[in-house]
Amino acid sequence: MTYKVTEEGNVSTVFLDGEIDMDVTDKAKEVILPLIDAGKEVHINLKNVSYMDSSGISVLIESHQKAIEKKTKVILKEISKSVLKVIMMAKLEQILNLE
Amino acid sequence: MDFSEQKDFEINTTSLREIRDFSRNIFDRSKDLSSKKDDLVLAIAEAAQNIVKHAYNGGPHTDKMRVRISLNNNDLQIDIFDKGKPAIPENIKPRALDDIKPGGLGTFFIGQIMDQVVFKTKKEEGWVNHLVLTKKI
Repeated sequence: MTYKVTEEGNVSTVFLDGEIDMDVTDKAKEVILPLIDAGKEVHINLKNVSYMDSSGISVLIESHQKAIEKKTKVILKEISKSVLKVIMMAKLEQILNLE
Repeated sequence: MDFSEQKDFEINTTSLREIRDFSRNIFDRSKDLSSKKDDLVLAIAEAAQNIVKHAYNGGPHTDKMRVRISLNNNDLQIDIFDKGKPAIPENIKPRALDDIKPGGLGTFFIGQIMDQVVFKTKKEEGWVNHLVLTKKI
């Protein structure tokens, strides 16, 4: 997995790339969670994520819950087909913010 | 076409990608399985992840785990072996989906994708756990 972060006002966009599994979830959390802790609205762009398993889904849930706690939000953007399928399998499409 | 292929993998999180690549390669070569490849790879990877996470407390470990993928008369069988902490099948339950929390989804995914998920009580030589995932193709 590789990533890039862009900033615009109070919005941080995290572009994730590659496959997200247990091997890289700590890295993903290290990128996303401090932004939420800083009170940023975080957009996670999943256009180039070709694979995500339950570990990756856990990162999305944890980020979503931390954002609620910090009174901000996490929005999932340009979700790839394969990731959307897993989100829907977990029946999280009504819980997470999808755009 | 019927086949059976197996490979051993190291117990660590980096192996998860190798397991996916091994599985994808097999499913890509089967016209009966290629359309279901993504789901099947996810099921295998989740089972392997559970071994690293639960049987070996996150690993790494010098033991190996074995993944065997077999197709016989439209019956797909995936056997996954490890020598870690013995699994207690009655304690392995998917979490309730309305209990929104990180973790616990892997077992649910496996159950969604496969027809049957069982731990074999009669073990093949040298292995501690033998998980069998089956699906009618």
